[in-house]
Amino acid sequence: MDISSIILPLVEITLAGAIINASVHFVPVGGAPAAMATSTGVGTGTTQLAAGAGFTGLLAAAGMAAQPGIIISNPVHALLIMLSGAVGAMIMLGLTMLIGQLIYVYGVGIVPAADKCDVDPITKDPQSAFITPGTTGHGIPTVCFVSGLIGAALGGIGGGMAYVGLLGLGFTIPAIAGVLAVGFFFMNAVLASYNIGGTIEGFHDPKFKKMPNGVIASTVSSLVAALILIGMSMGL
Amino acid sequence: MSHGGGGHAAELFPENQVLGIGLVLSLIGMYIANFLPEYAMLIGGALTVPACVAGANTTRRVAAYGLGTGVPSIGMVSLGMGTLSALAAVYLPVAMGIDSMATPIIAVVVSLAIGAIVGKLTQNPVGMKVPIIVSSMIKLSLMGALSILGFCTAFAGGFSANVFIPGAIETGMIGLAFIAAGIAILHPFNACLGPNESHRRTMYLAIACGLLAWLVFAISKLDAISTVISAVLWVATYAMFVKMSLNDASDVLYTPELPKKEE
Repeated sequence: MDISSIILPLVEITLAGAIINASVHFVPVGGAPAAMATSTGVGTGTTQLAAGAGFTGLLAAAGMAAQPGIIISNPVHALLIMLSGAVGAMIMLGLTMLIGQLIYVYGVGIVPAADKCDVDPITKDPQSAFITPGTTGHGIPTVCFVSGLIGAALGGIGGGMAYVGLLGLGFTIPAIAGVLAVGFFFMNAVLASYNIGGTIEGFHDPKFKKMPNGVIASTVSSLVAALILIGMSMGL
Repeated sequence: MSHGGGGHAAELFPENQVLGIGLVLSLIGMYIANFLPEYAMLIGGALTVPACVAGANTTRRVAAYGLGTGVPSIGMVSLGMGTLSALAAVYLPVAMGIDSMATPIIAVVVSLAIGAIVGKLTQNPVGMKVPIIVSSMIKLSLMGALSILGFCTAFAGGFSANVFIPGAIETGMIGLAFIAAGIAILHPFNACLGPNESHRRTMYLAIACGLLAWLVFAISKLDAISTVISAVLWVATYAMFVKMSLNDASDVLYTPELPKKEE
């Protein structure tokens, strides 16, 4: 195995970890308060939501990588794998947010409103007038929805990139590459969720400014993971 | 300090003692499973349960500080690091030309290293304000790796790469180990936290969850003896847990059926 075939996967896996971590910060997560419609976002934990989007992306990427005629070393094909991962993750998170929104609006009967901004940065609609007193926003306003889609796209690209890196290292059995990518994905998603520490509305949330810390942490941990993976690949 | 709302309950079993028992027993289990493949599920599976219990015990300790992200996240990071370590332990001996007998030891070393690095990272750039986060991440990574490697070795009948890869990875069993062992590690405290959480009750549930994970593997391997033994033990511990929960509750009221028509 020559040095260039090690450097490329090393860079890909390290970068993938950083992208996965960044992606998690975009996803609007409200936890238990959101489940009771007293805070903005989807009513579940960061890790679960990011993992759900990431795994769908990973499956989409693996599906694309398994197509006949796809060669991993071809950069265009690698890009195709990552983009199909992005689309898979976006469909998953978009549907989750859409169904959640339907329940919030027609089931709970609330008006989607973001607490962390007075005016929606995308639609320019006023927000604070619609927030129920005693709550920190509710539902999934437009800005959160768009932010979630961006996060899912990044997560899918990150998951796909990690998968491409693993295939490039020679983990050609999809089961092994998939399991390793899942473990790797969880590590980075949880590091990101510890950086957020609970709820986040999306890129307009003040907590979004903490993202560099999480990205640095993920870059270092992914580098370590990549070095271990390269060590493992020597035995293939 | 939020304990999911309850404060630190008295610790009945010292953490390091539980951890030591889990480590030693699961290592013994893996070697027995490797040398006596016909008893792999019976002994290897049974001895992996203590590793799950030790992981659940550490989860209880660290999650009591209030992570802000929910208890499941700590179980998932444990299994994430554990999967990488367990697979590294299977592949590294081949890469370095060492005998496959070193696999469980390599799993221990790699998981300790990954746990230490991730723990340090959660403290420094990320800024988690939990004093025991580094040591807990190390312990969780170790127990995650041991439970995944333990159950997969029990299923495949050995931990050398030529047995483990076709037996546990290509069959997809490692995915089952990921989620079954994950639930055994994260569920007990997640279910028991809150006011009046008792260590003994949480540990009973941890043992029940570990046995349930073993039962799932025994069924997947169609191992009749292990299935029966693990099922009997699981029912016994789970019944004990329910009994303890009912005893600890201030009162147990059953909702009556709604009357069919107004009287």
